[in-house]
Amino acid sequence: MTTLTEAAPVAPAKHKAQAGTALPPARGQAFLKLVAIELRKSVNTRSGRVLIGAILLIALAAMTWQITHLPEGTINVEAFLSAGSTGAMLILPVIGVMAMTSEWTQRTALTTFTLSPRRVRVQLAKFVSAVVLSAVVMTGVVILALGATALTGAITDHATSYAALGSQLTGAYLMMALNVVMGAAFGAVIAQTAVAILVFFIAPTAWSLAGPALFKDNANWLDVFSAFGRIAERNLNGMLPETLTAIGVWVVLPTIVGLWLSSRREVK
Amino acid sequence: MITVENLTKRYGSTTAVQDVSFTVAPGSITGFLGPNGAGKSTTLRMLTGLTPPSSGTATITGKRYVELPNPGRVVGVMLDAAAQHAGRTGRETLALNASLLGVPKGRADEMLDAVGLAHAAKRRVGQYSLGMRQRLGIANALLGDPAVLILDEPANGMDPEGIRWMRGLLQDFASRGGTVILSSHLLGEVQATVDRLVVIGGGRIVADGSLDELLAGTGTLVRGLDPIGLNQALTAAGLHLEPMHDGALRVDATAEQVGRAAAAAGQVLLELRQSDGAGLEDLFFQLTATPAAA
Repeated sequence: MTTLTEAAPVAPAKHKAQAGTALPPARGQAFLKLVAIELRKSVNTRSGRVLIGAILLIALAAMTWQITHLPEGTINVEAFLSAGSTGAMLILPVIGVMAMTSEWTQRTALTTFTLSPRRVRVQLAKFVSAVVLSAVVMTGVVILALGATALTGAITDHATSYAALGSQLTGAYLMMALNVVMGAAFGAVIAQTAVAILVFFIAPTAWSLAGPALFKDNANWLDVFSAFGRIAERNLNGMLPETLTAIGVWVVLPTIVGLWLSSRREVK
Repeated sequence: MITVENLTKRYGSTTAVQDVSFTVAPGSITGFLGPNGAGKSTTLRMLTGLTPPSSGTATITGKRYVELPNPGRVVGVMLDAAAQHAGRTGRETLALNASLLGVPKGRADEMLDAVGLAHAAKRRVGQYSLGMRQRLGIANALLGDPAVLILDEPANGMDPEGIRWMRGLLQDFASRGGTVILSSHLLGEVQATVDRLVVIGGGRIVADGSLDELLAGTGTLVRGLDPIGLNQALTAAGLHLEPMHDGALRVDATAEQVGRAAAAAGQVLLELRQSDGAGLEDLFFQLTATPAAA
């Protein structure tokens, strides 16, 4: 990216001289700065914090239920991890959707895009910020799962195991990132929070239900959930073309269309 | 310096803005007037890169808006005071933008102080009145210490004290060499604040000039001891006039011409002055009525 540096605007005199402090020279907006701003925007409102708090609370509730309903035998950390991340996987994409839509529904797009007129950079920063934020929240869930496992070992008679933790975590983070990017892509295409969330949840599910009935095995080509699953397990089962097609149609295509649309959309 | 050249915006078959050109020079305040739907906001949005023009260009300090590396440091924009996130505090709103503009954190508090919102810094914008949001919008526009200000309806929702405060702020800004363009429906306020006027009607510029120049055509107001005699005397002198409801006459001539004509006829004058008052309002309707009807 080009980061232009420009001297402060040449004006015969400056306003607000009484403020005293001379401002540093104007610089361009580095991409990382845009990401940091977007991250801050997603946590400095009540609704943003409530959403994150809700994900962690739901994870905590699921793990509490798990800890009181333990099966026989050795308890692997995966039991808590999957209990905790079910809710997270459902809600984290909403963070992705809202990262792209809230500016338009709250009308802050007006301010955002007058201060940063190169919209595609801002939108890309929102994608990155949504993934980073989701990873942080996911890490919170992971810490809860580790804590729950340790607690189980300490207060119950069950033996606990952390076997294959690394591979479970890789799968969970990959799955999370794919879902969030897909959510953000849908949000970029449909700038209405409620509609975008609805379409995000209904369209791929509808396909995964209706597709096999209509197209038999060919439906695999557009089954994004199975594609995500294969990627998360890092085992494509020889279905590389199907996986790439599904990702291309459900993630890459809406991302490109969304970026194009939001760079042209009129800000009112 | 704002330069708008042959700006046109078409939506399908309708033309919202047609071939609009004007400049706003440093050190002046330009009022941008027009009825609702005349193309004011569309023009301001094209100026700030929010709406792509169908043709024509708009530049600020010689550059297209989208080419400014960090526009907030060159031009302060407030197009809609309501377009702020209701869930953020006033201070957070400004601190966020201060970070983007690369100005020190303290600048947010300085600006809140400058617009008289220091007491409400920690309150969420959702609880602000419209006047307070306007002040926050102004603070936001001034955050990057810009040389140019673009304000859409800045006085909307402000109380008389706020309007007077803003007039002082803008005149101070212009006197330091700043460039200001503002749109408003409060004609009295515009007349008291601006140096120049650009009037848009039906998507076209219908007037562009200094306030004095544009209002000069409205003539002289004269009142005599004998209204009928004065009317005859002035008409006989070849002056065009229009009787007012209170017995005064509005004459399309200078005060000197009227005075001389009255003196020649031996008419006693009680009042002789530049016609003003509803001048801008009359001008506004006169300029914008025809294109809007067409």
